[in-house]
Amino acid sequence: MRSLITRARIHIPCLASLVILAAMANCRSSAETNKEKATHAGKISPPQVYVVNYPLKYFAARMAGDAAEVVFPPPPDEDPAFWKPDVATIAAFQQADLILRNGASYARWADYATLPASKVVDTSSGFRDRYIAMEDAVQHAHGPNGEHAPAGTAFTTWLDPTLAARQVEAIRVCLVTLLPEKTAELNRNCENLISDLHALDARLQRIVKGHHERPLLTSAPVYQYFARRYQLNLKSMHWDPDESPSDSQWSELDGLLEVHPAKWMIWEAPPQGETEEGLHRRGVSCIVFYPCGNSPPDGDYLQTMKDNIERLQAAFAAP
Amino acid sequence: MTDTLYIAWRYLSYYKVKTAILLVSITFILFLPLALRVMVTACETQLMARAASTPLVVGAKGSSLDLGIDTLYFESKPLERIPMSQAQRVQDTGLAQAIPLHTRFRARERTIVGTTLEYFDFRGLSISRGRQLARLGDCVLGAASAEQLELGPGDHLVSTPENLFDLAGTYPLKMRVVGVLEPAHTPDDGAVFVDYRTAWIIAGLGHGHENLAKVEDPDVLLGKHGDTLRANAKLLQYNEITVENIGSFHFHGDTSEFPLTAVIAVPHDQKSSDLLRGRYLSSEETCQILRPIDVIRDLTGTIFRVEGILNGVFGLLAFATLLLVILVMMLSLRLRQREMQTMFKLGCGRSMIAGLVAAEMAIIVLVSTCLTVALTALTAQYVDGILRVLVL
Repeated sequence: MRSLITRARIHIPCLASLVILAAMANCRSSAETNKEKATHAGKISPPQVYVVNYPLKYFAARMAGDAAEVVFPPPPDEDPAFWKPDVATIAAFQQADLILRNGASYARWADYATLPASKVVDTSSGFRDRYIAMEDAVQHAHGPNGEHAPAGTAFTTWLDPTLAARQVEAIRVCLVTLLPEKTAELNRNCENLISDLHALDARLQRIVKGHHERPLLTSAPVYQYFARRYQLNLKSMHWDPDESPSDSQWSELDGLLEVHPAKWMIWEAPPQGETEEGLHRRGVSCIVFYPCGNSPPDGDYLQTMKDNIERLQAAFAAP
Repeated sequence: MTDTLYIAWRYLSYYKVKTAILLVSITFILFLPLALRVMVTACETQLMARAASTPLVVGAKGSSLDLGIDTLYFESKPLERIPMSQAQRVQDTGLAQAIPLHTRFRARERTIVGTTLEYFDFRGLSISRGRQLARLGDCVLGAASAEQLELGPGDHLVSTPENLFDLAGTYPLKMRVVGVLEPAHTPDDGAVFVDYRTAWIIAGLGHGHENLAKVEDPDVLLGKHGDTLRANAKLLQYNEITVENIGSFHFHGDTSEFPLTAVIAVPHDQKSSDLLRGRYLSSEETCQILRPIDVIRDLTGTIFRVEGILNGVFGLLAFATLLLVILVMMLSLRLRQREMQTMFKLGCGRSMIAGLVAAEMAIIVLVSTCLTVALTALTAQYVDGILRVLVL
């Protein structure tokens, strides 16, 4: 009995000390964890804005600056209009604070994806009445009385600087809601951007003035809004810059040139040398006018458009 | 006093069966009304909690009870539909966030709830396994659905045709299970969640098929009228949405007229709620807006009046039990007459003997009370689980 009491007298204080030390260690680690959390809390990341094409990225980034992180996920070598994101990318879109869509049936993948409706903004919804239906589009229906499925619309709305300006305004409204403390800065940046777009528009108006009837060709039907804005006499082919046209395509062009004697063909990317030679033999010269759906290799949207206009001048300067 | 209690205790311990019967009877009659109250209170709390967390619901004019029950618990007879434009109308007011719901269809007796991602945030639902909805054709299962259907991420679930004899109707849709939710202990656990547009596809309002411009079988086409190709029923429509064919899925008609069963409106504040409700007061309005808490409060008030009837029955039962206990005691005393006489001869006074009998009763009542309290506490502790199994 005495030995038991003695052992207890020894062990109990030791155990108590261990318990106290353990409690102190826990408190310290908790304090350190809280301190780390507090430090991390001070570095809250800016809101994320996900976009479906490069012009929207440019517009949003130009207005928001460092106040928002503008994310444009499509790879640089893919056309964002037809890009299909994987599930992980869709999940990233779902976590965004704001999702900007171009509208006009651009990026059809978003029609099949489940995105948070409260965060998705169609930047061209304000001018749906200005959409251009695709030429030669075939609709379909089921049964003798079934309703039609929509055939699709042209979607390169940003090639009309005045429509691009309306998209910029729509983005501004969203950004002001997302970043109310930056309202003044957003408004200022928006004004500057719209001013630049109007300058592009004015310059293009001067270039094409008096030459609206000049027949022009395009390699692909992506310049509808551009053509409408500047009342250009455009006819579209369906040629791929990375492929040589087939014999039937050359025949089709020859037939078209008889009724539409164009001297210039506008390309969305530089054509192959063989294609260019074939066109030269037919008296048609090539102009590259990047639609800017994806990030340009050099510069930004505004610089690319200025460069496009420089090259386009040749088509209207020559008699 | 201690001696009296000791003798009473020894007596009760000796006659175990009789003591047990008396304990069970008295405990039972005390416990029943208390347990009923606990369960009714918990049931009411759970029902009201679900309703209280759902601020406003917009639906077709008609039974507000059916609309409320279907929106909260996904269990009701088929509702009149409202167009998708009603969800947009709520959203456009700027007064509330609109969450569309489509609950018409079922899959293996589970309600398919077509909605948006906002529903999950609204209800505080999070993914336990797999991932969230990402594409048309995806479905996310509630925890109970996944357990009972024995399905998980990577499996498939086919929607149940509404009418097995509708041979010309739409095909059931084979959905891809992509995620399972954490248990929420709400009706969401028993549901199957899809994008509301997937629900429209199940309804046959959208589908996927091969490009009519490239179809080779001439019998598939009724003809070409202008720039419109018309197909007949021979055209095979996909009954599963895959990565390969998802691009072919489309809707015919104006999607703003496509049906929903209800719209949950989450107002920004009380003033917005009042303003929004005011917009549906017109007699020409085709939709109604209701507060689920009002509907459920009326419902529970009606249902829980039954509690009063049951309490009355328990009261009668208690009275009958009391009479029986008294009868048992009286019979017991008669049988113990010789024992009483022996105690009297040993020197116990009449008051002592009466005290013994009273002590026996007191011990039985005290132990019964303790058992009742313990059982009631246990019931209160596990009432949620009991309700989930038996009621909800």
